[in-house]
Amino acid sequence: MKNGALIFLAVFVALGGSWCGFVLAPELQLGGAKQTTILNSSDVYPVGRPGEATQGSSVYRANGCAVCHTEQVRQTGITCEVVLTDAGKTPAAVTKVCVDIGVNMTDRTWPLPLPKTILTGLTKEEADAASGKITTAGGKVEIHIAATGPDIARGWGMRQSVAEDYLYDQPVQLGSLRAGPDLANAGARADANWQLLHLYAPKSVMKGSTMPPFRYLFEVRKIGREPSPDALKLPPEFAPHAGYEVVPTPEAMELAAYLSSLRATAPLYSAPIAP
Amino acid sequence: MSDELKSNISQPPDAGPTASRSTVPIWIILLTLLLLFLGAVYFDRHSGWFDKQVYAPYTSADELASYQPKSGEASMLAHGKAVYETYCGLCHGSDGLGKPAQAPPLAGSEWAAKDITSLARIPLAGLNGPIQVKGRDWNLSMAPMGASLSDADLAAVLTCIRESWGNKNGAVSADEVKAARAAISGHPPAAPNSPK
Ligand code: HEC
Ligand code: HEC
Repeated sequence: MKNGALIFLAVFVALGGSWCGFVLAPELQLGGAKQTTILNSSDVYPVGRPGEATQGSSVYRANGCAVCHTEQVRQTGITCEVVLTDAGKTPAAVTKVCVDIGVNMTDRTWPLPLPKTILTGLTKEEADAASGKITTAGGKVEIHIAATGPDIARGWGMRQSVAEDYLYDQPVQLGSLRAGPDLANAGARADANWQLLHLYAPKSVMKGSTMPPFRYLFEVRKIGREPSPDALKLPPEFAPHAGYEVVPTPEAMELAAYLSSLRATAPLYSAPIAP
Repeated sequence: MSDELKSNISQPPDAGPTASRSTVPIWIILLTLLLLFLGAVYFDRHSGWFDKQVYAPYTSADELASYQPKSGEASMLAHGKAVYETYCGLCHGSDGLGKPAQAPPLAGSEWAAKDITSLARIPLAGLNGPIQVKGRDWNLSMAPMGASLSDADLAAVLTCIRESWGNKNGAVSADEVKAARAAISGHPPAAPNSPK
């Protein structure tokens, strides 16, 4: 073959280049990720999921939940709030500074009760400047940092998801389509009981839900000598015939445990929110 | 039309296409350099230099560092709240108002205003018997709920109790807790006397 070596070389460079870009570089950048401490605390994050939740992760995978759900909160910006925590010994001086920097003073009870959020939607520089002025006047302030973005506004999380959030997930089920809400913080929004009701009959807890019910994860059976303690407490229109009960299978229990374990709210160095 | 055809045919039939050795136009070189420059500027501003901690919308390690909450009373209070929710909130309530027949309130409690050793003694050694909180009598028993906490965590939770829900009794440092722990070690649980 004419130019065989050249073609081989070109293919090699093309594949090697993408391997470096897609495999080697991320490994070098994030491969060493490990548990970190939560900001302002001695607790570590993340802690591995409990065993039942880890099994639930494969139930999540097997049922294709990731087709309709993502597990990744995005953030587009940061905003600062200035909170007055102490008006100091000379409240009048602090009040004057607050008027100067444009704090809304229509509140009759100013400056009580403290702490009081006096400025919102600032950049870090603006917040630092305002905090400097108030501190000079003898007051004490805190600067709260909050994430912003459409996902945050929908209440799907307090901060964006970062690599640490997925440290113990294998495979990571980011998902790519959002027919339903993001689930990165599903565990922070609802408990395992709610998840079971929602899986059996989404409409029983979420009016007009379009999520398909996952009835086959439950067993409808005749009530034995005593009703099962795990039986779902369904509203009448979703309940089975009298004398029957809906009992979650082990898979459903694992899935609910997994969903309850989904919470990425800890403030981290790479995703600060405070306090 | 026929002229063009003729001029093509006028070349010898077996002559292949040849490349001339004319130089690359200078504007292409300039454009390439400009694009490289803009690319480098964009990279510098947005890449965070591949720092694994830096995610968009943060653009550099310095910017990220500037957003880190300052450690101090505020963060201690935030941490204290978290410890409180885990170890104390169940009985004394997230609002510090206590629960009837379960635990007395901490909001406005004169016990929170006592000296640090006496206050630290309650979570460290427990509290049994009749006490008065905000003019009401309680006669329950609290286990040493905070005995297993580190000095830093206990200092944070005591700071939370002294500085939340309208209380204004000042922060507690880990060293003060350490001293209190030393002072009360070997002593019986807090005496069930009224604070004043
Ligand atoms: C066909 C797409 C689809 C599939 C597949 C799907 N869901 Fe959903 N899911 C939705 C939609 C739409 C909603 C929003 C309505 C609602 O809350 O019921 C939703 C809502 C949810 C919620 C509530 C989120 C919240 O906080 O409001 C949870 C939890 C959930 N799904 C879990 C799952 C799990 C677990 C699976 C796999 C067993 C799954 N979903 C499969 C579409 C889907
Ligand atoms: C199991 C429930 C329970 C928990 C958990 C608990 N307490 Fe108490 N606490 C009580 C009870 C009951 C009393 C009243 C004891 C008495 O009547 O002598 C009390 C009294 C107190 C008092 C003095 C009275 C007052 O209201 O000011 C303080 C201070 C206090 N607790 C602090 C804490 C701290 C700090 C923690 C967490 C480390 C904590 N408690 C956790 C039940 C609890």
